[in-house]
Amino acid sequence: MMVLLLVLPLVGALLMLLWPKIAPLLTLLTATICSLAALQLLLQVSEQGSQQILLAGWPSGLAISLEANSLSCLLILLTTVLQLLVALYAFATYRRDKLGTGFWPLSSLLQLGLTSLWLSRDLFNLYVCLELLGLVAVALVSLSGDKAIKPALNYLLLSLFGSLCYLLGVAMLYGAYGVLDISALALQWQTNILSTAALLLMTLGLMLKAALWPLHGWLPAAHGAAPAPVSALLSALVVKGPLFILCLLWLQLASAPQAVAIAPLFTGCGLAALLLGGVSALRTPFAKNMVAYSTVAQLGYAMLALGLLLRFNQPLFAAALWLFVLAHALAKAACFLAIGEITATLGGKRLNTLKGASQTMPLAMFAFAVAGGSLIGLPPSGGFLAKWALLQGLWLQGDQLLWLLAIVLATLLSAAYVFRVVVLAFDRADPVAPDFAPRILPQWLALLPALAVWAMALYSEPLLRLLKQEGL
Amino acid sequence: MSPFWQQYLPLAIILSSLLPGLIIFTLKETQVKLRISLNLFGVGVKLLLVLLMWQAVKAGQQFYFSLPFLPGADLVLQGDALSLLFVVLSSVLWLATTIYAIGYLEHSPLRSRFFGYFSLCVSATVGLALAGNLVTFLLFYELLTLATFPLVVHRGTAQSLAAGRKYLAYTLGGGVILMLGVALLHSLVQSPLFTPGGYVTAVVSGNEGLLKLAFALMIAGLGVKAALLPLHGWLPQAMVAPAPVSALLHAVAVVKAGAFGIIRLVYDVFGVESMHALQLAQPLMLLAAATILYGSWRALSQQDIKRRLAYSTISQVSYITLGVAMLGPLAAVGGLVHLVHQGVMKITLFFCAGNFAETLGIHKVRQLNGVGRRMPVTAMAFTLGALGMIGIPPTAGFISKWYLGLGAAEVEQNWLILVFALSGLLNAAYFLPLVYRMWFLPQSMPWPQEQQLSNRFETHWMLLTPAVFTAVLLLLMGLFASTELSPLSWAELIVEREFRHD
Repeated sequence: MMVLLLVLPLVGALLMLLWPKIAPLLTLLTATICSLAALQLLLQVSEQGSQQILLAGWPSGLAISLEANSLSCLLILLTTVLQLLVALYAFATYRRDKLGTGFWPLSSLLQLGLTSLWLSRDLFNLYVCLELLGLVAVALVSLSGDKAIKPALNYLLLSLFGSLCYLLGVAMLYGAYGVLDISALALQWQTNILSTAALLLMTLGLMLKAALWPLHGWLPAAHGAAPAPVSALLSALVVKGPLFILCLLWLQLASAPQAVAIAPLFTGCGLAALLLGGVSALRTPFAKNMVAYSTVAQLGYAMLALGLLLRFNQPLFAAALWLFVLAHALAKAACFLAIGEITATLGGKRLNTLKGASQTMPLAMFAFAVAGGSLIGLPPSGGFLAKWALLQGLWLQGDQLLWLLAIVLATLLSAAYVFRVVVLAFDRADPVAPDFAPRILPQWLALLPALAVWAMALYSEPLLRLLKQEGL
Repeated sequence: MSPFWQQYLPLAIILSSLLPGLIIFTLKETQVKLRISLNLFGVGVKLLLVLLMWQAVKAGQQFYFSLPFLPGADLVLQGDALSLLFVVLSSVLWLATTIYAIGYLEHSPLRSRFFGYFSLCVSATVGLALAGNLVTFLLFYELLTLATFPLVVHRGTAQSLAAGRKYLAYTLGGGVILMLGVALLHSLVQSPLFTPGGYVTAVVSGNEGLLKLAFALMIAGLGVKAALLPLHGWLPQAMVAPAPVSALLHAVAVVKAGAFGIIRLVYDVFGVESMHALQLAQPLMLLAAATILYGSWRALSQQDIKRRLAYSTISQVSYITLGVAMLGPLAAVGGLVHLVHQGVMKITLFFCAGNFAETLGIHKVRQLNGVGRRMPVTAMAFTLGALGMIGIPPTAGFISKWYLGLGAAEVEQNWLILVFALSGLLNAAYFLPLVYRMWFLPQSMPWPQEQQLSNRFETHWMLLTPAVFTAVLLLLMGLFASTELSPLSWAELIVEREFRHD
């Protein structure tokens, strides 16, 4: 099953290069099959526990090993389903939006990179996935044409720099211990300057690639410039990859004193991301940049949860962390697709374009508002579940009033930027041309993930059970 | 009735307005008849279901429906006597408001959107009334905020957008603070069902500080919607909304959601015993008394009719809080029955104010001179509502104030009787001039913007009937207070069940 999930997108991408004409159909086909396979894998793992395979029959230590635990399976399912959804959206709009033919094979490669990243437990394999992800993401951003060249180049350079930092850290560890498999490395782990330096280097690289504050500068430009389906994929999935590796490093590799020592850095950065990202989202005049800054802010929740998890070792924070990742992925995909559809139909990049959108494009606006509800953390959405877990953890820890206040502030900030758009949409619309007929299908596709994130709340118990199976 | 039905009845009551609402969103502007029939169908079904439930609850049955949600806190809908008080109020007034809104918005744009959100708003209110634990309550509390916002900004003017922003800033802020408090309480005792007598008694010793903090946070969160003193700023501004929306905000949905939450919190979460042990009643009482006097005082100087009514709401809703905070059975009866009485009286006043504005273009107090001759029926209904607000027998307002006064004497808080007297005087001082102008002063200027809405009546029949209906209702509730059907006897039933638990 795992091999299928990796081989299919790869073969699909190659075939797409050979027959560009049927590329959209091939993408849809592979994404559908992969979604079913991912679901099957998730069911298997949740019944039988995590599975491990060694590729091509090599002995352990030499072979590329893949491990599927329930968290990885959940993330794979998320990836494939969002891939399918975005592919459908792109299929419905690519003629209008003049999306380059490069999109189809690249998005398949993106899926490959992410799937293998969720499955790898080896520092070098993770590096390869990370590099693949970065390059594909840059190529996808540049699909927008000339105006995207500068942000894409910027993204490329920073991404390469991040990868190099990570690679340097990996090399240091390999030199010292001679193994790269995370579980094997954890057994011989020593707390010394070398290992700390390696960890810090890798963290620097990963934070840069995950656009964690204060290394987020490249993200709004890149995600804002990319075509709507690409922004949805980048914001929902790609930035979560490096975050996943970061969690692996600090939760499974680092020793307890190292973890406790780094915790204030993560919580501090998370807090700053929440507040400053929120303020930037509130101030930017461009619609897509607003959504992109919201990603920066929402990643702050994940960082905050990671920092608190490292400090207090309270399982509720782990649940909060992954719930944030899942809820944000769905909500952000919905936001980008909705905003992309509205701006493409009404024409214009500024927030003012959205004036009166609740009358001209009610469905897309509804999708944005529903997804925004999850970003704010209104019940009963996935965002609320995550926030609830975070609040419970903080109250149980006691004496964490500062963090509680910060969360209140961050929630209000997110409410402010979401409702800035919603209020604008309730303004009276400018008159539209008599033949104005927005397309219905893309709007529904934007609404789907938004509804899914609210449905998450109803499946909270199985979700929490799945997430609790993991030590991660 | 089979158990299957009993389980799904609370859900069906919510769905009876939610589903028509969702269908209405998809309708075209021109499908007027279909929209109206859907609306009325929803109201009819809801009233029928509520009637079924009312009879069963009276006979001592309980309704219970749950879905798994958070660990330790399911989504629970529960039909008990207290929730039914609020459900009946909102369903009956929804009927009146729907008819009113159909008449009021005739020929105006974006009606499908309006009625869609209107139904959502009522669904959220009913859900809030039926919520069986704090987490479910929180959920519907937030949904109510989201559903009312589009109604407040419905006109899409700069002024209403500004009011909408302010409304959101207050209510979302309140929602987050409420969430914080609920999460704190959940971390201490989980979120079990609302139980008469409360469920925190077991953990009071050792957790005094945290429980007090949780109470303060939740009161602050609920106080935003209940318009308690420092948190009332959104209410007068939200007056720019269309009249049916103001009626809904003031009488049924939003402010009542806050007041109802406070009742739940005091009686069914903390309980009388813990309230005494934690000494939480006194501050709440002071706050409510201050709000009563402040609201009345500010109402005096308002020259806009709707703004004057808004400040009056701030003051009157705090009677409910005050009745609850006194922690005595008689005061509780007064507070609970005022939840209903204030709703009916205030909605009458808003219907009438809307009629004046729609028919004659009257918005200011001084333009009211001589309206009694031009629109006698509406003016009569307004007068009844105003007399009720002051508390003159035999209107409904008298009954609630009587019980509140008795309750204050019972718990030996005699200074509160002074507050009631003073506030009654202030009420008279800001309502009687209006009544006087309507009936006894001659018309001093031409009507600002007169419209001929009907040939036979003084205004459109759809605007007139709801006002008459609620005015008659408030009179009947006062006259027949001692019968079995009155809100008073229902409030007594609730209080008996609440205070009997030990």
